[in-house]
Amino acid sequence: MLNLNDPIMKRVKFLLISILLMTGTLIRAQDYYVYVTAESEDEVAVVKFDGESAETIERIPVGVWPAENEGPHGITISPDGKYWFLSLAHGNPYGTLYKFSTETNKVLGTTELGIFPASMQISTATGLLFCVNFNLHGDMTVPSTVSVVDPVTMTEIKKVTTGVMPHGSRISPDGMRQYSVAMMSGELFEINTVSLEIERKLDLDMAAEAFSNGGKEDMPAMDHAAMDHAAMGHSQHNQMSAHAQMKHSKIKPTWVIPSPDGKKVYVAANGNEEVLEIDLEEWKVSNRLPTGKGPYNVEISPNGRYMVVTYKSDAQTGIWDLKKMKEVARIDNSQKVSHGVAMSSDNKYAFISVEGIGDDPGAVDVIDLNTGKLVSTAHLGKQAGGIAFWKIESAP
Amino acid sequence: MKHMSLLLTFLLISSFLLAQDLKIEVVPDNIQMKVGASLALDASVTDESGKKIDNRRLAYYSFDSRSVEVDSTGKLTAHLPGEHQIIVVSPSPDGNYLRKDMKVYVAYPPVTTIKIDEVPEKIYAGTTFPVKITVMDAMDLVRDDATVELTSSDTKVATTDAFANIHAAGPGKAEITARHEDITTRLNIEVVPNPVANLEISSEMNQARTGDVFHFKATASDAEGSPVSDAPVTFSFQGQADDVSSSASGLIKKDGRFVADEPGIYTVTASSGPFAASKTVKVLPRNVSRKIEVVGHGSVNTKHTSDFWVWEGIDGRDYAVTGTWGADGTAYFWDVTDPSSIKKIDSVQVDARTVNDVKISEDGKICIISREGASNRKNGIVIIDVSDPSNAEIISTFTENLTGGVHNLFIYDNHVYALSNGEKYYIINIEDPASPKIVGKFELDTPGHAIHDVWVEDGIAYSSNWDDGVYMVDVGNGIAGGSPENPVAFANYEYPSGAHHATFPFHSQSTDKFYAVMGDEIFPYGLDVNSFNMAGGFLHFVDFTDLDNPDEIARFEVPGAGSHNYWIDGDLLYVAYYNGGVRVVDISGELMGDLYKQGREIAFIVPADPDGYIPNAPFTWGAQLHKGHVFYSDWNSGLWSAKLEPEKPKDVNVESK
Repeated sequence: MLNLNDPIMKRVKFLLISILLMTGTLIRAQDYYVYVTAESEDEVAVVKFDGESAETIERIPVGVWPAENEGPHGITISPDGKYWFLSLAHGNPYGTLYKFSTETNKVLGTTELGIFPASMQISTATGLLFCVNFNLHGDMTVPSTVSVVDPVTMTEIKKVTTGVMPHGSRISPDGMRQYSVAMMSGELFEINTVSLEIERKLDLDMAAEAFSNGGKEDMPAMDHAAMDHAAMGHSQHNQMSAHAQMKHSKIKPTWVIPSPDGKKVYVAANGNEEVLEIDLEEWKVSNRLPTGKGPYNVEISPNGRYMVVTYKSDAQTGIWDLKKMKEVARIDNSQKVSHGVAMSSDNKYAFISVEGIGDDPGAVDVIDLNTGKLVSTAHLGKQAGGIAFWKIESAP
Repeated sequence: MKHMSLLLTFLLISSFLLAQDLKIEVVPDNIQMKVGASLALDASVTDESGKKIDNRRLAYYSFDSRSVEVDSTGKLTAHLPGEHQIIVVSPSPDGNYLRKDMKVYVAYPPVTTIKIDEVPEKIYAGTTFPVKITVMDAMDLVRDDATVELTSSDTKVATTDAFANIHAAGPGKAEITARHEDITTRLNIEVVPNPVANLEISSEMNQARTGDVFHFKATASDAEGSPVSDAPVTFSFQGQADDVSSSASGLIKKDGRFVADEPGIYTVTASSGPFAASKTVKVLPRNVSRKIEVVGHGSVNTKHTSDFWVWEGIDGRDYAVTGTWGADGTAYFWDVTDPSSIKKIDSVQVDARTVNDVKISEDGKICIISREGASNRKNGIVIIDVSDPSNAEIISTFTENLTGGVHNLFIYDNHVYALSNGEKYYIINIEDPASPKIVGKFELDTPGHAIHDVWVEDGIAYSSNWDDGVYMVDVGNGIAGGSPENPVAFANYEYPSGAHHATFPFHSQSTDKFYAVMGDEIFPYGLDVNSFNMAGGFLHFVDFTDLDNPDEIARFEVPGAGSHNYWIDGDLLYVAYYNGGVRVVDISGELMGDLYKQGREIAFIVPADPDGYIPNAPFTWGAQLHKGHVFYSDWNSGLWSAKLEPEKPKDVNVESK
């Protein structure tokens, strides 16, 4: 006689119900939801895609200085889906991290970060949030930081100094390492999400060059102290001495994403029209993948098959098959200035934010990963930027 | 099938792990420390039965390591007193991390010292004076939280109150004791007989208008009629407004300056100990209101309008340029020679979403516009040839060091002063407008400094630095040896509320005083770009006649609206008050107190437009007087002109000083 109240039976019941629910979900029509920032509109939009058509279903005003553009830039959803976090780039002068409820889209808390906070993610291993302070318009000789924030109390715990203009950042699938790339100093940083210390740093210009040279790590082309900066058109005013010592990354990395198996990271080399593959065990470039102009953001489907790259300057998006290490589709975006990527958790769709120019509305292009086709476009406020996938729901 | 098996295994393991109900336990659970002390936490992960789980890593994080530091082993070190917080986390790559929040109480060091300062040299019987109490602790920190009780050894000589006032009751000696718990400080005072036998009060005026400043003087003398120059005198007033339902409000200063808000009868009293003297004065209505009427309108109803500038072109005609906000980067050029017929004559579109500010060179040939929201994120400024405003042509675009966006700018003597990323301003030489070059920079070094606007007049740049207030910087005036290449700050004033948006210098010709008129920009109700809005904030009048001792002396605050940009011509202020339209204000004479309540507002005009970008939603951005007409830009309706009727003689009998 089976005792349904037996603890073992309770777990079996839980498993069976889970499987039934998953099966049902697979059969029924599904709605996909993403959050997207509109950087020049100071708003965040919720975009719903029903498998055929995408539409903006809610526009949420953000910021506190109404007459100025505060620039919502980075956005992420908490692992449990209950909260979304938003970085507002421009403050007085520091930017701000906001915490919202996904249920109500109301503000639950804020904390001040560094200058121009941008991309971020929460570690599933510690629950702490890591947000880069981009400082896009700051001194190109001064390293910026990664802020570590307790998202429960919205308290900044630490600033970890990294490179100059850190922009893209993502956390390893096990939550134990945070990766960020510094655009102007051309560096990849690995931060231990528990000790909050930098464990490794990689000069991407040199590493890429070393890959092409068959492993030699000399790079005479990057000897900037020997460069004629005056001939490069730099200002000769009071920062000239500092300029003489700064490193200008040629590849200008703008994004980094770890592979789902945690063995590699892929870096958008925005200035060099390529994506760099970094072997994390060897800590060196293991492949260079030529792309369209201005590769900007990169995401990988949860099953590890597809890598999607926005080509900002070409207004296109590339889909790469990571098994074949080949670009299998290149899609024209609906307008200029392709920006961010969010992948659906079922590996079917990529959601691309597209900024537009001037008073163009922002856009979210939905791309079917299997067909490599643009399926639908939703419009929102000006300059669509940061984008985060929220959830899949069975359609009613 | 393989994937399904893995999933089932994962779910089973996860459910068992969750069922174990793990938690972090820390000893001690109640952490109490002293400053400078260290404490090793004994933390572990336990299951529901209390059994310790091996191989669970623990990490410790302080919310404020300057107050309480915690290292990777859980060793706490207390640096500052107070209640602090740490978290202990047991990380887990499978997502089942554990967390415990803990408070750390660090005891305040004992109070060691109480100081009593600002005691008068001579204390006259019958007078009351405040003293300054300062409490210090063992860390040499000022302890504002410590309560201090004052007592007197002889209440016939001196009494005390809870607000650190000492009342000298009668001649004699007394010991004043300041006590906090077991720490005491004693002050010996001697109260001498009050020599004052007579007190007189006088003022130059017996009647004036609301807003006019009386200067009352009190003269204390002894029984022989000799003056007692060190007799403490306090001034107060009471009044009766002509309007029975109005309060007879006003402002009186310690030095006897008095201004009334309402017409009525006011009695000002000077007192020194038991002696008092009063004088009653009459206050009449200021009676400065005039009519103002709309003359013309240049509609912009497809996008928001931002700042503007009106100038006389090199052909002798009059022109205006307006910016746009949150739109497509357009600046419009207008012919306003006939203010009743404002004509759009050209436009320039740049890569921007907001052209927040526009300015014209003194010779009327060069226009500069600011860029924010450029698609390439380079922003900067655009220099335009407006020798022929009907054919405005871009000369150059300059983005060096200005990529973070230029919110406001100014042009003065062949130099552009351009804000950069809300942090600083650069000074750019445009003698060759096709090849601008940076020659100087001004930036504060205060933590988290910001800048919102810059205005240049007579070689002095007035930068509005939000919480840091206004900075006056010599960029060629000579007062501090500055130049565009070497800007030198020489004066500063900040007000407690912050939000300092713009400054306009005002040399009052009627008083020879020099004021900085400092404006707020506040949106207490937010801003809906698609609807009617209300703003807040006001203008602060700061007397800078003594540059080293600025004195915030007056305000102009319109209820239900908020200040933005403004213009001063002679003794008239034209201020854009967002939803309150344009307000024209009489700022003649000495300024003190609440100028709005004093009836100094001459006129107002609100640009409601049913065909506006947002219909009937006035939101006035700026105002400028040009050749007798008031021009103003409105966020929702474009450019307007109005005419203030001439001042007419008033049938008011007012004494003049």
